[in-house]
Amino acid sequence: MFGIQDAIRAVTEKYPTSLTVSTCGFITRDLYNTVDRPENFYLVGSMGMAAPVGLGVALAAPRRHVVVLDGDGSFAMNPGALPMIAEHAPDLVHVVLDNGVHESTGGQRPVRVADPAGLALAAGYAAAHTVTSAAELAAVRTEPGVTSLIHISCAPRGAHAGKRVEWTPQQMVERFRAAAAA
Amino acid sequence: MTDVQTPTPPAPPVAVADRDSAALTLVRAFADRGTTHFTGVPCSLLKGVFRALEAGTGPAAGLSYFPAPREDSAVGVAAGLAAAGARPAVLMQNSGLGYSLNVLTSLNLIYDLHVPLVVSWRGHDAGDAVEHDIIGRELLNLLDVFGLRHTVFDPEDAYASVERCLDAADDGRTTPVLVVKEGI
Repeated sequence: MFGIQDAIRAVTEKYPTSLTVSTCGFITRDLYNTVDRPENFYLVGSMGMAAPVGLGVALAAPRRHVVVLDGDGSFAMNPGALPMIAEHAPDLVHVVLDNGVHESTGGQRPVRVADPAGLALAAGYAAAHTVTSAAELAAVRTEPGVTSLIHISCAPRGAHAGKRVEWTPQQMVERFRAAAAA
Repeated sequence: MTDVQTPTPPAPPVAVADRDSAALTLVRAFADRGTTHFTGVPCSLLKGVFRALEAGTGPAAGLSYFPAPREDSAVGVAAGLAAAGARPAVLMQNSGLGYSLNVLTSLNLIYDLHVPLVVSWRGHDAGDAVEHDIIGRELLNLLDVFGLRHTVFDPEDAYASVERCLDAADDGRTTPVLVVKEGI
């Protein structure tokens, strides 16, 4: 099965110049340790807020493509954000990295969303995809300019994530704001 | 027996236009200070502000307004807007402040993404609906605990109220809160 860290790397390679918002916990740490760049906005708290923050970024920088890296637990925490995002139809890909566990807190079982892709479509996203392998992810062609969701079924790390983000939150904002304006 | 009452002249009607003017002035003051986007969840005390923003005319022309499903998501969207260089503000009832506290403490306040909040104050005195009693009694204490710098909105001095509120957070290290007690 597709490992979650491989999935994160594959997403960053698929969207190398996009403004990217990552949910707190191991996903932020994995993104930071995979490819740290000014276009990344790392949430260190506020679980469930990656998608709303991504929407805000997309509204402020409408010429830029935005990627949201959510987990299955953080996605389940805030499905209410989906219709708000859909209403604006931003140029945004909402990635749900579904490893089936709250891994950073010890591997507990999250609430299961049976069909994240179906939920996104019902909320008004223009497109949604479910993939279970690197090859399937590579085959997904998200249409530019539309809002879509990619639900990636993947395997837990089974190990600790890399080091914590070493930028201060203020540094992150400063470099992200400059990158968003570029 | 009936009380004999001295006839009193009819109170001057509280014109809708008068109530609107405090709300419109509030919007104008934010717009003049560079606010670009409003989001939030409605409160009856802020009806006039929402009406102005939904209409998108007058002082709200050129401002972007969109509803949020919950106050914490509104604060999250505003944080994203601010991180990418826009100037948002968030509207909510004080009940929504509770939902918002995690986002404020683990995102806005620690990243210095200080989005102004316009917070209505249901339950500021006894006699409001019971669900507002506790949050109404504790609102200013709660804001103080988290260092959220609050200014009570004066409808008679609407423009200056907003200016005072935003000036109090001019250092860029503080989140300003405009507390609205009366329906506008």
